[in-house]
Amino acid sequence: MRARMKLRLTMLLIACACLALTSCQNVGKEEEKTSLRIGISLYRGDDTFITNLCNLLEEKAKEYEREYGIKVTLDIQDAKGSQNTQNSQVERFISLNCDVLCINLVDRMDASVIIDRAMTAGVPVVFFNRQPVEEDMNRWDQLYYVGVDAKESAVLQGEMVVDFYKKHPEAIDRNGDGMVSYVMLEGETSHQDSLIRTEWSVQTLKDGGVPVEKITGGIANWERSQGSALMEQWLLEYPDTIELVISNNDDMALGAIDALERAHVTGVNVVGIDGTTQGLEALANGSLLGTVSANKEVYAGAIVALAASCALGEAPPAKYPLMDAKYYWASQEILANNIEENQ
Amino acid sequence: MIGKGGRWLVLLYVMFLTVLFLMCSTDLIIREPEREIHQIAVIIENARSDNYSNFRKGMDQAAKEFNVDVHFITLYDKSDAEQQMELMDREQQDGADALIVVPVDEERVMGKAMAVPVIYLQPRVMENPGAGTIVIDYEQMGKLLANEMQNNIPADCPVWILTDSAGQSGSDRLFLKGADAVFSQEGRTMFVTAWEPESMLRTAMGALGAGEKVVLLAENPEILTEVSNILVENPNAMEHVCGIYGRGNTVPILNNLDSGRISGVCVTDDFSIGYLSVRAAVQVLERADSIPVTADIYYIEKENLREPDYEKLLFPIE
Repeated sequence: MRARMKLRLTMLLIACACLALTSCQNVGKEEEKTSLRIGISLYRGDDTFITNLCNLLEEKAKEYEREYGIKVTLDIQDAKGSQNTQNSQVERFISLNCDVLCINLVDRMDASVIIDRAMTAGVPVVFFNRQPVEEDMNRWDQLYYVGVDAKESAVLQGEMVVDFYKKHPEAIDRNGDGMVSYVMLEGETSHQDSLIRTEWSVQTLKDGGVPVEKITGGIANWERSQGSALMEQWLLEYPDTIELVISNNDDMALGAIDALERAHVTGVNVVGIDGTTQGLEALANGSLLGTVSANKEVYAGAIVALAASCALGEAPPAKYPLMDAKYYWASQEILANNIEENQ
Repeated sequence: MIGKGGRWLVLLYVMFLTVLFLMCSTDLIIREPEREIHQIAVIIENARSDNYSNFRKGMDQAAKEFNVDVHFITLYDKSDAEQQMELMDREQQDGADALIVVPVDEERVMGKAMAVPVIYLQPRVMENPGAGTIVIDYEQMGKLLANEMQNNIPADCPVWILTDSAGQSGSDRLFLKGADAVFSQEGRTMFVTAWEPESMLRTAMGALGAGEKVVLLAENPEILTEVSNILVENPNAMEHVCGIYGRGNTVPILNNLDSGRISGVCVTDDFSIGYLSVRAAVQVLERADSIPVTADIYYIEKENLREPDYEKLLFPIE
């Protein structure tokens, strides 16, 4: 009986020793941070809006570095539209001891692998531009999202057209039949912004009293080339019919403008969303009727500030108030061509 | 009931499990060999990294192959040599094993003594080349471009050189030096103006008489992009321009070359330069000989932009 007790005690001591030894390995790692390393993975580096935003992230990181005297290193990787590539990039960021991850998800329905890895490593994640599903966002309190409100973008786009129609109905309803015939260029099927922008831009037109008739629509995956190809096809299928092109983003709108220029078609109004550099150029030269632009300075500033506060274990920055302690929505504005100035 | 022998067996079994656990889950018995990851900091001459996208892709490729951790640092203010040297010190203190530097001012920056090996992307062949050498001969690039321009533009058309009002980098200066040498030898008229869109379009070009034409030469990719974008929206000014030339291979430059807004550019194979610079740094760190490399220079116009060799060079796939 006594021997059995001794045996149990020995086993218990051995187990305790094992636990103590393994936990000892992590002691002494806490120290004050004088530098931050941020791993950034972009869903596609050739997306104009993302490129613009990425340039601003670099600028904001430098501003942060100057203001707070904390060195900020950005590791920027392009996932080239592959979720597997992005997962590997996250793995590498974690192995390189990144303090925080900023992820522009490839597949918003497939954030679980990234979240699992980040949670295991204890590395906070700031998602941006492509919003993970709510169930994923609720898995951990160190997950954040920075983006624009898709419904707001769409409503502003719709309001811009309503406003223009009220002032110059003849400039949109060019054949004077009392209906505005439009085509719709949509982003990816699985992207929440694409669905919401499509629905609410048209709804706002209807609510604003613009009589609209949809001729056709198509998915151009946010890409200029695909927007151009679709528009070229529609111009052949529906000659002299299209009066308005509503695009979910500026790149596809620019693609439609390319097709219109190639076909020497004039007078078709094109509206986009994003306010990319190229979109603003098109706005300046009059080929784009208008766009809805997020304040990209604020957008990028929020990502960097939130990432830095997470990495330093501080409270989220008061300058960028979070909704539900997770979401930051960047403000947006309408940038439209003034027809009086152009005439 | 377990007998005495049985108890010993159980104890031995527990001890075996314990040793097994310690071997598998800790470094106490078997220490896993640590793979050394070299830290390399890249400090470029510019405040923005847009012009370095292919260069960066080449570096990322090399980083994967050679197990290197590369991080990219841009200056707060463009062409500030003092700041670049401060950043070199900072990176050295922060534990970088090697540096790759595109010097703002090659005399000052390359003269700086450093404790870690530095690979300089030199804008010309230097006497004090640093630990490894990648030479991009901008003077030669300027000469090549000027010679091509001579073949394409009328003999009486003066060259209007647009310089950066925000400051001239070493590569800008050498590029213009090369072009200037060719144009001076040929006796071509040249004007030099600091690039300011408003003053150039309204004042300078407005002063040109009817039918008077100039050819524009931008000293760096930023000016080339801006001038080609702005002129297309100003048909009155465009009437006086018989060609726009420069250097660089950013996406906007290539788009403008493709659309005919830009007449010709000189480029280097940035992907290979990025890759080779990281390889040179690794070779120096591993005490192997680093072979000096001089980058090839190519002249590209709209007509040859889509040739397979140039496509590979301008749009590299990692």
